[in-house]
Amino acid sequence: MKMNRSIIPLLIIWSLAPLVWQLYTSFCTDQALVMPFAEHAQRWTLAHYQSVLNSDPPFLNYLFNSLFAGVLSTLLTLILALPASYSLSKLNQRTATLIKALLIGCALFPYVLLFLALLEVARFLQLGNSLIALSIPYAALSQPLAVLLLTNAFADLPTELEDAARVEGLTLLQRFRWILLPLIAPAIASTSILVFLFSWNEYPIALTWISDSSKLTLPVAMARIAGSSIHSVPYGPYAAATVLGSIPLILLVMAFQKPIVSGLTSGAVKG
Amino acid sequence: MTLHLQNVGRCIGNQWIVRHLAFQIGNDECLALVGPSGCGKSTTLRLIAGLDPVSEGSIAIGGHDVTKLTPAERSIGMVFQSYALLPHLSVFENLELGLKIRNVQCKDRSIRIQRVLDLLQLSDRASHRPAQLSGGQRQRVALARALIRDPEVYLLDEPMSNLDAQLREGIRPELRRLVLEQQKPTIYVTHDQHEAMAMANKIAIINHGQILQLDTPINLYKNPNSLFVAQFLGRPQINCLKPSDNQIQAIRPEDLKFDDSGLPCRLLSREWLGNTQLLYLASSEGDLRMIMDPSFECPERLFVRWDPQKAFYFDRETGKRIP
Repeated sequence: MKMNRSIIPLLIIWSLAPLVWQLYTSFCTDQALVMPFAEHAQRWTLAHYQSVLNSDPPFLNYLFNSLFAGVLSTLLTLILALPASYSLSKLNQRTATLIKALLIGCALFPYVLLFLALLEVARFLQLGNSLIALSIPYAALSQPLAVLLLTNAFADLPTELEDAARVEGLTLLQRFRWILLPLIAPAIASTSILVFLFSWNEYPIALTWISDSSKLTLPVAMARIAGSSIHSVPYGPYAAATVLGSIPLILLVMAFQKPIVSGLTSGAVKG
Repeated sequence: MTLHLQNVGRCIGNQWIVRHLAFQIGNDECLALVGPSGCGKSTTLRLIAGLDPVSEGSIAIGGHDVTKLTPAERSIGMVFQSYALLPHLSVFENLELGLKIRNVQCKDRSIRIQRVLDLLQLSDRASHRPAQLSGGQRQRVALARALIRDPEVYLLDEPMSNLDAQLREGIRPELRRLVLEQQKPTIYVTHDQHEAMAMANKIAIINHGQILQLDTPINLYKNPNSLFVAQFLGRPQINCLKPSDNQIQAIRPEDLKFDDSGLPCRLLSREWLGNTQLLYLASSEGDLRMIMDPSFECPERLFVRWDPQKAFYFDRETGKRIP
């Protein structure tokens, strides 16, 4: 126990240090960055944020694009994955194990290998430069992981709860609404976060499907900032963009923390 | 209103879980299904509730064939072993859900819920979540949910197995009164013969998916049709003597008497049970259990005999009673 406690500060430093460094960089003038210990009359600046926010198109635009694609792909993923995983949890053991093995295979497949083929599909169906279209491959690629996570959540629910609801006269949809969804809310929240994170960070598909600069998502836009000059790397603006891009994620996790942590199923059965 | 099962069976793959179930219970009857775990008693209940499909035979409630109907269409009130209360809803909301689904008017709902809560002394717990209730209270909420819809048949699946022994004894008469007051056919599943005898006016002993015997508790005890039934009912268990001529003679512990001309026995151990004592005896016919007055000081060596009229005889191979 003591051992564990002493590790916690180390873990915090380990995981937070890069973020703190990014935050520090985003507020530092370029001179202060290259000579951190020298005296500077003006060490702190908001110039990086100003340049990022005032760029054309404005940075908030990218933020919105990513948010839009992320929310849409998360919703799409859940709409498809919830019924699928419910059925999977009701299948007989053998078939379910086989399907799960296939899903794990899909989840482990490096999707980058698919992006050329996806590009062809996008070109053929004329899905380029559309954020709505972009969320389709995102939802598809998140599907195996989401189905696996949600299947386990469904399987963990005591079957008597659903039996009782059937006796009460609840239809399948009503059981979903009143019993299943509320009880697996923690699993839905954690799945949503993972799916959202994936689409928030996704680069190759976004890079190839979107060329209109007003429709770029964050990772692509940030890569453009990083590569905007041949002679130097614009550390300051890049760090400012990273910080701005992380804020929605932090808010998201904070909002979902409660349902994840609270054991909603406690007291469902004996205990 | 009667519940009528005709030759009901359930088959999974090529294995029969239960088969040839046939009985009829009337309005004021409570039938207990008793048997060892895995014997098919819970499956029987699920078949009647419509939670599992019937593979053969038919089920009728009040003369209507319900074999193909969904659980909701059967007018059944069921209490589950785990109570199956929704953890994210309050007691009131748990009770309300079924009524809401059935489009009962809001005002009507509150009246009915209040009445059931009063009946089960849960009025002060209406806004609590199941996790905040004690085991006995949860059990009463589960019962309330069955009562509130005023179903035609009550099915209770080991409703007291999650309660401790003392609480169980306290709730038993209350549960019995509540269930009998409904004047509806009731099926009570339990693995505890004591509970079955206390709750039900008829008991069906089930083993390997078949009903071995169905009768009143007293008839089952006095007139078991097989060795399994004789051994299953009655504590301390019936004494089985060494088989002879392919027959097993069995005699209840309370029917053994001391007699100097009887079978010589040696005292193995004794247990005080408060108002009686239980003697464990070794004899040439096998070990015997015997019930005695607690004040009796038992010698090391003694002789017992019994009235052969009170003994039961069973076939060694089939376990069937030999008249």
